[in-house]
Amino acid sequence: MLRATWIVFQNEFRLLARDRASLFMLMLAPLVIITVAGFSLGNIYGAQPGSEPYQIVVVDNDRGSLARALVAALGRDHAIAVVPAASLDAARAIIGGRARAPLCIVIPAGTTAAFAAGRDVHLAIYIDPVKRLEAGAIELDLDRLCRAITSQAHAIAQQQIAAQSIQLRDQLTQAAAQMKTAAAQLDQLRRQFEHARATAQAEVTAQTHRTVERVSAQITAQINQALEASRTAVAHDLAVRQDALRVVGRYLEQLDASRHDFTAWLAALKTAAGSHASQIPPPPQWPTPPDAAVLAELAKPFELPAARLDAAPSIAPANIAIRMPPIPELRGLGAIPDFSRAIAQTAAPIPGILGWHERAIGGGDARVNTFDQYVPGFGITFLLIDMLWGVGVGLIDERDWGTLARMRISGAPAAGLMLGKLTARFLIGLGQMILLFGAGWVLFGITLGRDSWALLMPAAAISFAAAAFSLVIACIARTRDAVLPIGAMAALAMSAIGGCWWPLDFEPAWLRAGALAMPTTWTMTAFNNVMIRGLGWTSAAEPAAITFAIGLGFLAIGIASSARIYRLAGQ
Amino acid sequence: MPPTALVEAVHLRKSYGARLAVDDLTFSVKAGEVVGLLGPNGAGKTTTLSMLATMITPDAGEVRIAGFDSRAAPDRLRRRLGFVPQSIALYPPLSAFQNVEVFARLQGLTRPIAQARSSEALEAVGLGDRADDPVWSLSGGMQRRLNLACGMVHRPEALLLDEPTVGVDPQSRERIFTTIRAMAESGVAVLYSTHYMEEVERMCDRALLIDGGKLLSQGTVAQLIELGGRHPRMELTFDRVPRPGWHDGIAGVAAIAAALADGRVILELANLGQIGELLERARNSGAQLLEFAVHSPNLSDAFIALTGRALRDKAAEN
Repeated sequence: MLRATWIVFQNEFRLLARDRASLFMLMLAPLVIITVAGFSLGNIYGAQPGSEPYQIVVVDNDRGSLARALVAALGRDHAIAVVPAASLDAARAIIGGRARAPLCIVIPAGTTAAFAAGRDVHLAIYIDPVKRLEAGAIELDLDRLCRAITSQAHAIAQQQIAAQSIQLRDQLTQAAAQMKTAAAQLDQLRRQFEHARATAQAEVTAQTHRTVERVSAQITAQINQALEASRTAVAHDLAVRQDALRVVGRYLEQLDASRHDFTAWLAALKTAAGSHASQIPPPPQWPTPPDAAVLAELAKPFELPAARLDAAPSIAPANIAIRMPPIPELRGLGAIPDFSRAIAQTAAPIPGILGWHERAIGGGDARVNTFDQYVPGFGITFLLIDMLWGVGVGLIDERDWGTLARMRISGAPAAGLMLGKLTARFLIGLGQMILLFGAGWVLFGITLGRDSWALLMPAAAISFAAAAFSLVIACIARTRDAVLPIGAMAALAMSAIGGCWWPLDFEPAWLRAGALAMPTTWTMTAFNNVMIRGLGWTSAAEPAAITFAIGLGFLAIGIASSARIYRLAGQ
Repeated sequence: MPPTALVEAVHLRKSYGARLAVDDLTFSVKAGEVVGLLGPNGAGKTTTLSMLATMITPDAGEVRIAGFDSRAAPDRLRRRLGFVPQSIALYPPLSAFQNVEVFARLQGLTRPIAQARSSEALEAVGLGDRADDPVWSLSGGMQRRLNLACGMVHRPEALLLDEPTVGVDPQSRERIFTTIRAMAESGVAVLYSTHYMEEVERMCDRALLIDGGKLLSQGTVAQLIELGGRHPRMELTFDRVPRPGWHDGIAGVAAIAAALADGRVILELANLGQIGELLERARNSGAQLLEFAVHSPNLSDAFIALTGRALRDKAAEN
C-alpha cells in the first residue's frame, strides 16, 4: 500500500508539472491579485504615498492670515501637495482631470476676520465622491489641522486674557476700597435723611390737626344758621295754609246746610204737586263734601327741610413749611477708577472655531452609497467571467463537440456564425447588467443619476468589449481547461486594475497608466460620472466610446485568431 | 440516361508536413449509389471526407459535389452536401429535436419546413419518441443515430458518412443501415467510410480500398473479394508467434499472413478437409492455439492480399 501511495504521490506532481493552467492558478494568479491589491489598497492601511502625494486644490477667497496659515500647514504635510485655483470652476476642472486630486478647499472671504471676531467659521470642502476614501483620509488630516489652528488661536487669546485679568484685578481692588468709603458716607447720609423725615412728619401732623378744627367750627355754625331760617319759613307757611283751611271748612258747613234745606223744599214741592208729583224730575245730586279727616290732614304741620349750606367751607390747610437737611458730598465715589477701558481690553473676543462643511464637487450628495461603486464594479467583473463562459468556453465546447465544424459545413458563413454568437452573448451581457442595476436599485437603493438611460451606453460598450475579449481568450487558451484560469485571471486583473473593486485613484501611477488600456477603466469612469458624480449623459458618452473602441480592437484580434484556430475561414 | 456522379474526387492530395495523408485519390459516387471507403485506421479516410466536405483544403486536386466545385462555389456545394462526422457533433444540452432543427435551419430551411423535416429525420432514425430528450440523456447508439439525422435532415444530394457505426449497439446499427439504404434509394449518393468490412459487404454497391492515402483498388464488393482469392481461409490465433514452417508440407495450404504481431496466422486452404491436420500441426507449433475460424474469402482478405497487412488489428475488433 505504501508503494501505491508513493507512486500516486509522485504521479500527482507529474500531473501538476504538466498542467500549466493549474500551475498558473497555483502561483501566478494569486501573486498577480496580491500585487494589484497590495498596490491599490496600500493607502488604506497607511502606506507611504511615495513620490506622488495627494493634490489638494485650494481656492483662497479670504487672503487673510488664517487662510495663509492653513495653506502653509497643508504644505508642510509631505503627503499633500497644495494646488491653488482661482475659482471653484477651475478647481472642478483640476479635480476632474487629475487622479490624485480628491478634493478642493474653498476658504470663504472674510474667514480670517470672522474667526478673529470670535465667530465659528467653516471652510467649504468639495470632494469628488468617487474618491471618497482618499478624501476621507485627507479630511481626517484637515480635521486635525483645523483643531490645531483653533487650539493655537485659543491659547494665544487665553494668554492675553490672563495678562489683562491681572491688571483688572488691581483696578478692582482699588475700586473696592473706594466703594467702602462711599458706603460709609452713604450710611451717614441715610441717617440724616431719616431725622429730617421724622421732623417733617410731626410738623405736617400738627398743622393738619389745626386746620381740621377750624373748618369744623365754621361748618357747625353755618348749619345751625340754616336750620333756624328753615324753621321760621315753615311756620309762616303753615299759618297761612291753616287760615285758608278754616275758610274752606266754613264754606263746606254752609253747603251742607243748603243741601238739607233743598231736600226739605223738594219734599214740600212734591206734596204741592199732588198727582203731578210723579211728573217732577228728580233733582241733581249734590256733591259730597270732603271728609273732615281729609281736611284735618291739610292742617298737619310741615316737617323741616334739610338745611342747605350756601357754600362748602374751605378745608385747604395752610402752607406746610418743611425744612430738609442739605445733601452731604460723597467724597469717596469720585475716586472710583474707570473700568471701561479695562473691560474693553478684556472683552476682546476669543477666536471662533475653524471647521468645514463637505459638499460634492459635482453638486450632488457628498455621501456615497457603497453599492454605487460595487454594483457596477462587480457587475462588470461577473459580466467578464460570464462572458468567458459564454463565448470563450462556449466556443471551445462547440469546437470540441464538433458542432462548430458542422455549422461551417452547413454553408453558414464564418462571419455570420461568429456574429450570431457574439451578438447573442452581447445582448445577454447587456441584459445581465440591466438586471443587476435594477436589482441594485430595488435592493440597495443605488443612484441611477439624473440621466439614468445614459447607463446603457457604458453597459452596452462593456458587454461588447467583454464578448470580444472572451473571443481573444478563447484563441489564446485554446482548451477548456486553460480558458478559465487564463480568462478568469485576466478578467479579475482587469476588474481590479480598472477600478471595479476600489477607486482607481488608489493605485500607483504606473498601474493607473496601464489601466487606461482596459475597457473596465473607462466603463467604471462612465458609471461613476453618472451615478456618483451626478453628471449628465455626456460624461458617459466619451468613456463608453473608448470602451467600445477597445472592444473593436479585441474583436479584430479575436476574429483574426479564431479563423485559424477554429477553422472558421474554410475555403 | 446513366446516373450522374454527385461526388467527384479528382487527383486529391493532402499532406501534413512530411506526412502524405492522401495521395492522388480519384473516384466518384453516383446518384443512388452507396460506396464504401474502406481502409485501416490512418489510411486517409477522414482526411478524404474532410476535403470532400470542404472542412480542409486539398493541396491539389478537385472536389465536386453535385457538380459544384469546392473552390469555385463552396457554399453552393455545402448546401447539397450532408456530412456525418466520425465524432458526434451535437449540442449535449439541447434536445434531439432542437439539435436537428438547428442544423436544418442552418442549411437554409424555413422554420416550419425545418421542424417538419426534423420530425421526419428523427422518425427515420428511430428517435421520434425521444425527440424532446436532451442529447446527454441518450445512449451512445442513439446519439450516433441523431448524428446521422442532423446530416440528412435537409435532404442532401450527397451524403458523406465517416464511420457512423463506431461503438453503437446492434439495434442502432440496423437502424442506421436502414436509413442509409433508404437515402440511397431516394437518389442520394452515399460515401460510407468505415474500417468494418462487414458493413461494406452488406451495405455498399461498390467499395474503395485505400491505405496510406492511396487508392489500392475499387470495384463492386464481389470484384474486390475476388482479389483475395477463391479458396477458404483459416484464421488461427496463438498466444505468441508460432514456430516458422509449422504448416509446411500440406498441399494447397499457403500463408496469406504468416505471423502477425498479435499472434494471428491466416492461411489459404485448398479444401475444408485440411482443417483437422492443420489443427494437429498447430498443437505442435511451439505456441498455444487460442482460437481459430474458417471463412470464405472477404474484403479483409482482399486487403491483406493487396497490402500484406490486416485491415484491422485484433484490438480494433474487440
